[in-house]
Amino acid sequence: MSLLEVRDVTRRFGGLTAVDAVSFDVHEGMIKAIIGPNGAGKTTLFNVLTSFDRPEEGTVRYDGVDITSWRAHHIVRRGIARTFQNTELFEEMSALENVMAGAHAVTRSGFLAAALRLPWTVREQREVAEESGRLLRLVGLGEWADAPAADMPHGLRRLLEIARALATKPRLLLLDEPAAGLNIAETSALAEALYRIRDRGSTIVVVEHDMGLVMEVSDEIVVLDRGCKIAEGPPRLIQKDPAVIAAYLGEEEADEL
Amino acid sequence: MHRNVDIKVAVLLGLIGASVFSVPLLTADRYMLRVLTFVGVNVIIVAGMALLFGYAGQVSLGHAAFYGIGAYASAHVVTVFGWPWVAGVAIAIVLTAAGGLLLALPSLRLRGHYLAMATLAFGEIMRVAFVEGKGVTGGPDGLSGIPFPSFLGIEVDSAGGNYWLVWSAAAAVLLIASNLVRSRAGRAMLALHGSEAGAMSCGMDLTGLKVRVFVISAAFAGLAGSLYAHVVGFISPSTFSLHVSVLLVAMAVLGGTRSLAGPVLAAVILTMIPFADAVIPGLSRSAVETIQEWQEDVYGLTIIAVMLFVPGGIAGALRRIAAKGSVR
Repeated sequence: MSLLEVRDVTRRFGGLTAVDAVSFDVHEGMIKAIIGPNGAGKTTLFNVLTSFDRPEEGTVRYDGVDITSWRAHHIVRRGIARTFQNTELFEEMSALENVMAGAHAVTRSGFLAAALRLPWTVREQREVAEESGRLLRLVGLGEWADAPAADMPHGLRRLLEIARALATKPRLLLLDEPAAGLNIAETSALAEALYRIRDRGSTIVVVEHDMGLVMEVSDEIVVLDRGCKIAEGPPRLIQKDPAVIAAYLGEEEADEL
Repeated sequence: MHRNVDIKVAVLLGLIGASVFSVPLLTADRYMLRVLTFVGVNVIIVAGMALLFGYAGQVSLGHAAFYGIGAYASAHVVTVFGWPWVAGVAIAIVLTAAGGLLLALPSLRLRGHYLAMATLAFGEIMRVAFVEGKGVTGGPDGLSGIPFPSFLGIEVDSAGGNYWLVWSAAAAVLLIASNLVRSRAGRAMLALHGSEAGAMSCGMDLTGLKVRVFVISAAFAGLAGSLYAHVVGFISPSTFSLHVSVLLVAMAVLGGTRSLAGPVLAAVILTMIPFADAVIPGLSRSAVETIQEWQEDVYGLTIIAVMLFVPGGIAGALRRIAAKGSVR
């Protein structure tokens, strides 16, 4: 059984169909990429999968359960985490605190227990701090723990967001353009991080523009163009798919190839 | 290193606490004690405002209404029903928490400034209710003859006793608030202030969080209202007007975000301005009357000056001093 089943998902904005009857599956343990030209509907699809947006039609099933109408925070607590194309960090908080905030999904001390500073909440807090430190080191940000997120360089902010997402202990991790704005060295470090994350037991779906990264890391690729799925398969086949080449280069150039 | 800082902070807090509590031992000046008691009441409200505004980033323009509900509810059950004072405090807290919940649930589901608008309207509705609900509130003339707080039949009727009572409550409220901001809940408040999308991606229930913080801040204001009513013995609608709500916001703004110490200091300063002669010996009565006449302008100018010259308010200034100290 697949971990994520997307069926006929459609999202319209006025007259524009941003996502048009898209279906695909994500199997546990794989890295799956969603690619497509600008405006293909990738981020909209991502928002629908994480309940940051609602589809007009179609269903999203996760681990056999229909989560289409769930609220975003319930989905996170169930094991789907995400990052954002334009990083959504907590700028005034330190890198460590950002990751600790991610652990909100998997901890439970509420307002009353916190107000009374019950011993188990203090213990939980200490464990969260330790685990968050480990996650920072996993993505290579160990030295930045005390730095405010606002002071970190762009490339590292993306890694910090990934660490924060990992703190929610996701079974499925959705990354929205994690390589955007990264240089070559940072991109290869990101690829390494993705493998480590998969090997720790998270399934990964990545929306990405960087073809080099996509072809290198992904097991399967879904190609979107103007809201529709035009191809799906392993990287080797996608590279040669005429519809994909046409979508990326435009019809006429494709004919000339 | 962190431990060292913790010890320094603990010693500093201990010293501040000891000096605050020793005031009635050092002076018998009833006027001064009364003004400082009133400062303690405002510190209780501002602790809630600090959580709501400074941590969770929500603006309320109606907290004077909760202050008033707490005061009237407590005064009513004690004077009319003859309930003990402790029951009055409990009623004040429960009613204001429930009122906060009823107001926050619908308005916090919406994004943007709906909470500010809803609280503004709520404040006005309650102000009218305080004036018109003569059966409970005594109308524009207010309620007088509210008995002093009492424990087990012993009435706390001295100025020093009231001072200790109010500041003990303030200490308890500040302890709760500081526990909260250092916890998972406090991190969530800061997170939702920083980025709502980011907070959602961490599994935070934004509406639930905002509602909880709002209810806590309303309950703190209710507790303050109850203490005020019994310590002063007289309440009337003007004590709980929009003007007071704005003053509370001013305290939160002047105090700065991500801080309890900042807003508490701001509450002390802004509460003392119209009663400056209580602590500054030799300040003439007419000078104080002039200050009181220009009170709103003094508040306004203070806020403008802070925004221009002290970004981040008192908390921002304190953080800059601390940062300088640690770099050395």
